[in-house]
Amino acid sequence: MPNFFGKKMIEISNLTKHTGNTTILSDLSFSANQQECLGLFGKDHRAKTTLLDLMAGSTQPSSGYINIQGLDIQTRALKAKQLVGYQLSMDLGHPTMSVKVFLGFIAAVRGFHGAEKRARLEQAVARLDLFPVLDAPLDALSIGWKRKVAIAQAVLHNPALLLLDEPTEGLAPEQKHSFRALIQSLTQEMTVIIASRHCDELSELCKRALVIAGGRLVADTPLPDLQRDSRHFQAVTLAADTPLDLLALAVLPGVAGIEEHRHAPGTVTVLAMPGHTIYPHINTLIASRRWKINSLSLEPGRLNDVVHHLSQEAPL
Amino acid sequence: MKLLPIILKRQLASYACTPSTYLHIAAFLILSVTLARYVSPWPEQNSSDLQVFFQFHPWLYLLLIPALATRLWADECSAGFLGLMKTMPITTYEWVIGKFLAAWLVVGTALLLMLPLVIIANYLGRIDNSVIASQFFASWLLAGSYLSVGCFICTLVRQRTVIFVLTLGLLLTASGLSSILDSLEHQAPIGLIDSLAALSPSLRFSSIDDGKLTLRGTLYFISMILAFLTATIVKLNYTHS
Repeated sequence: MPNFFGKKMIEISNLTKHTGNTTILSDLSFSANQQECLGLFGKDHRAKTTLLDLMAGSTQPSSGYINIQGLDIQTRALKAKQLVGYQLSMDLGHPTMSVKVFLGFIAAVRGFHGAEKRARLEQAVARLDLFPVLDAPLDALSIGWKRKVAIAQAVLHNPALLLLDEPTEGLAPEQKHSFRALIQSLTQEMTVIIASRHCDELSELCKRALVIAGGRLVADTPLPDLQRDSRHFQAVTLAADTPLDLLALAVLPGVAGIEEHRHAPGTVTVLAMPGHTIYPHINTLIASRRWKINSLSLEPGRLNDVVHHLSQEAPL
Repeated sequence: MKLLPIILKRQLASYACTPSTYLHIAAFLILSVTLARYVSPWPEQNSSDLQVFFQFHPWLYLLLIPALATRLWADECSAGFLGLMKTMPITTYEWVIGKFLAAWLVVGTALLLMLPLVIIANYLGRIDNSVIASQFFASWLLAGSYLSVGCFICTLVRQRTVIFVLTLGLLLTASGLSSILDSLEHQAPIGLIDSLAALSPSLRFSSIDDGKLTLRGTLYFISMILAFLTATIVKLNYTHS
């Protein structure tokens, strides 16, 4: 589906990367449009990072092409690099530079100066809420703060393509909410590609999922489709103080099975058969039996399981 | 070349932030004055230039240059920072030359701090200031050629101690070449000695140091700087691809 410029934001065709004798990526092709948010999943952390490195132009592919807004990353590297913002998974460290000096340096390297540079810096600092650490040296920051500085550095020049590698690493649970809001606002402006091993955290953010296993792209589907493949799609988890009547649950129409939680007695997960909805039936059962239920939740499907499953199936 | 001033500024700030820079410059200055004072007493020589101070520079740079050279790529030691810099729209030329110029400017500053000596010399007797200027310039060129060697070595090895030892070793060989040649004078064929002698930076330096700022001498140092910087750029381009 072409965007209104008639061009894709990023096009990758037949990308292969070897280091030494090992093949990290082989024959990978996909493309992404503007304002899309892609999740990059897979067990192999190295393959994901290498793919992001290749898109950012910091390593060269063994064969294949990457075009960013029609610019080849190999032949027109400098222009293409200007379109990309990249948050690396490696820890950002520098013995002497403070956060403010570091961001100032990156802004200067990106070609900003004077009033525009100040405005860009202010915007990035406000976006990531970096005010408390502005004068701290980079080496003194915690992992979570380093991540935030790395993301601030990547969005400084409003790139057309933003690459994030394990962005939620080291963030406290309460920060993850504001992080999600940030990514949602960024998706309005740019194409975002997020590589992460915590797939379920990204299920609300990403519209499309790419799964890499054994160096190949084993799935390129809308994220809801991937969730639908999960055994836990449409499953219902109940928790009660008293043991529940499992037989009554098991005979409900559409129930595929029941999982008891070993570590939490009284909590069970009822699995649904593909294409069936069991939530209303369970609700009716609870109402008619007058069970005292502490929690009742419908699961969207466990992405981690699906990705794990896909990785196992992939031929090596 | 647009980003060269930014990298130069960053590197200068990095030197200014490190105490070891100040320490080594201070040691360099103190040693160059004390050596001149005690090894070949300056006030008694009644010469019209500052040759006594500059004659030890090829040896004193052995102390200063490795220290500055190890700082050149110290920022890129952390893998995260280096990885980030590779994704920036910077060419290797800007990167290497910016860093080299910053270090060269620091050496220039160290040399300028010897200015009080020139004032004292002017006060004490008749001094040929143009000779002194050429001596300063020659010393700065020599420092530049040493630095470019250090810059190249830094791209070959990562460990700071190894960089320091290698740079020191290489510069020691270069500085000591003339004394080796002296001892070889009666054994080896004259042609070999002459061609080796032409390569020795300290011999070149002493010829300029006398106040004869020849085009040949200047070109020797400049070509040495250019050769090693090109080697650095080629090496970096090779490892990054």
